[in-house]
Amino acid sequence: MTFLEICQWLESSRLGEMVTLSQWGFPILVTTHLLGLGVSVGTIMWMDFRLLGWFLPSVPVPEVYRRVAPLALTGFAVMFLSGIVLFVGYATSAYGNTFFRIKLAALLVAGVNAAAYHLFTERQVATWTGRRLPWPARAAGLVSIGVWTTVVLAGRMMSYTMF
Amino acid sequence: MEGTVGTALADLERSGLARTIRDSFALTATLSAVHAVGFTLIMGGALLSNLRLAGALFRERPAGEVVLPGVRSIQAGLAISIVTGLLLFAPRAVAAAGSGMFRLKMLALITAVAVQFLVIRPAVRRGVRAGAARYLGIVGLAFWTSLALAACAYILLE
Repeated sequence: MTFLEICQWLESSRLGEMVTLSQWGFPILVTTHLLGLGVSVGTIMWMDFRLLGWFLPSVPVPEVYRRVAPLALTGFAVMFLSGIVLFVGYATSAYGNTFFRIKLAALLVAGVNAAAYHLFTERQVATWTGRRLPWPARAAGLVSIGVWTTVVLAGRMMSYTMF
Repeated sequence: MEGTVGTALADLERSGLARTIRDSFALTATLSAVHAVGFTLIMGGALLSNLRLAGALFRERPAGEVVLPGVRSIQAGLAISIVTGLLLFAPRAVAAAGSGMFRLKMLALITAVAVQFLVIRPAVRRGVRAGAARYLGIVGLAFWTSLALAACAYILLE
């Protein structure tokens, strides 16, 4: 079974039909997806701004992370789950859409960037003194802002090129 | 839409800039995508500043230290959203101005901005008490959430 055939099967599933045929299913899902995106990206950016020294520079980075992470992860879970259900409804259109691929690639980079930060860069956190953090921490913040902006841009472009 | 406003909107729609945007699918989509980035900055700023006031985030930090960066993010988001929003409005000014959903979105925007900049920000600068701050934060969150919902309704139901 090719990936395209899987997409066709997903689209013809009961869930896929519910997304595309129900009168309110699509608007409610997209609204949930956009609100989840707003909450997750809107809170992740404060962590990024902290890494760049633009927000609460006197507060330790792990403290800022501990405060914003629950909200960011909740928003991400809402965005991710609603995104998967939307994908089931429009899987074949999404499969062939360039902006969908750009969005997925950006999400992947965001994940790798976050993992690299937590696995390697953050280990040196005890040595971080002063307002200006070491370059790997600042780079992680900058990359995160770049990829999440790409996710938002590509997501909106999808709605113009898919439906 | 009749009278002077109607004529002005029709003139706006016939302008060269409006025609250029209407005729270019790529330009319209790009403007809309940048509009969404502005929306994200607004949401991020509104969440941070109002959750702090509501006592749910960075409670031990002085309110101004958290709320004012949030307000700056809202200002940057508004600047992006208003410019791109006006450019998206121009090609379909008459239809948009006559749309109930669009009017609802504008009403939600004006109300949220007025509450944030005429009530919340001055109160934080004066030094607001914890009880009143909590109330202001909840009110602020409610208005910005209403704007987000109205914006989604306009995109999806119009």
